[in-house]
Amino acid sequence: MSRQNSEKLEQTIHRTLRALPDRRAPRSLEARVLAAIAAQQHLPWWRQSFVHWPLAARAGFLVGSAVLAAAFVALCLRAAGGAQPAAVLAEPLALWTQIRGITAAIGDFCGTVLHSIPSVWLYGAIAFVGCMYATLFGLGAAAYRAFFVQR
Amino acid sequence: MNDDTPVQNQPSGMIPPVDFTTFMRNYQDMVFSTAVRLVNNEAQAEDISQEVFLKAYQHYDSLQTSPTAGGWLKTVTTNLSLNHLSRYRNRWRFFSEFTRHDDGESEGAEVEFASGDDFLADVDADERRVWIERALEKLPDHQRVPLVLFHFQDMPYDEIAKKLGVSLAKVKTDILRARTALAQILTRSGTTHETFNA
Repeated sequence: MSRQNSEKLEQTIHRTLRALPDRRAPRSLEARVLAAIAAQQHLPWWRQSFVHWPLAARAGFLVGSAVLAAAFVALCLRAAGGAQPAAVLAEPLALWTQIRGITAAIGDFCGTVLHSIPSVWLYGAIAFVGCMYATLFGLGAAAYRAFFVQR
Repeated sequence: MNDDTPVQNQPSGMIPPVDFTTFMRNYQDMVFSTAVRLVNNEAQAEDISQEVFLKAYQHYDSLQTSPTAGGWLKTVTTNLSLNHLSRYRNRWRFFSEFTRHDDGESEGAEVEFASGDDFLADVDADERRVWIERALEKLPDHQRVPLVLFHFQDMPYDEIAKKLGVSLAKVKTDILRARTALAQILTRSGTTHETFNA
């Protein structure tokens, strides 16, 4: 299509579409919106979102949460028998060291296994997986075009 | 459908609507039209319109006196419609772009129409509206959506590309093909003078 014709087409389509009046909204829309608003308003304040809570309730909630958090920390420290923070952290750190040791051992094992497999086998397996992926992808695309595309 | 006379645009004189119901009546046709032209499904467009007005209700204090309320509603409707399309159709988009639509939409196809004339100029206004809406519905999503954004929402090409997450070249090509396809459908309609049972 020539540039001139393309511009002429654009202008004509634009004029045609802009002359189109709005479509009438379904009658049910207004009732649905008002019903949804009424349902929202009839919810008790604690079931509405936090921003719709009364100011006093929001302030109370924040203060209560802070008190609870402080109490929890104090309880934890008391349960530890007044121990130093380093002593409290010693057990999780030991666990973390154990986990790291186990993962390193698994990594070493996998590395050893991988090196003992001939590289031809590895490349063959990668090629096989790639081919299967491409085949299944192609089948999916063909099935979509055959069964789902209506136009 | 509504029997009341619709108000399509911001009421002149900047008189604020007396309540939210009036506000909604003023804009519901515009919101619904925007949504239905994008998602091409009346039930989904009604759901989107409901969501738009619920959001509008939350911001009603500022919207009721705002001269840009119509623009705000249109933007929210467009965004919600595009979110809806991407949520439900992303998984198929890759395959959809494999699909060829050969029903007369080739890029180089020439469309004959009288210069300066609108399509279906000699057809009754109501029938013409139905023809054009039906022609829009026939376009595939990847052509209809950018066409609607360009011609109805006045969105520039680069912004459409950004919104849809596709290249600028694809947007331009899709819009050109959409115009050509639309022109061909409307030209055929004009010559055969078929009638719809609307």
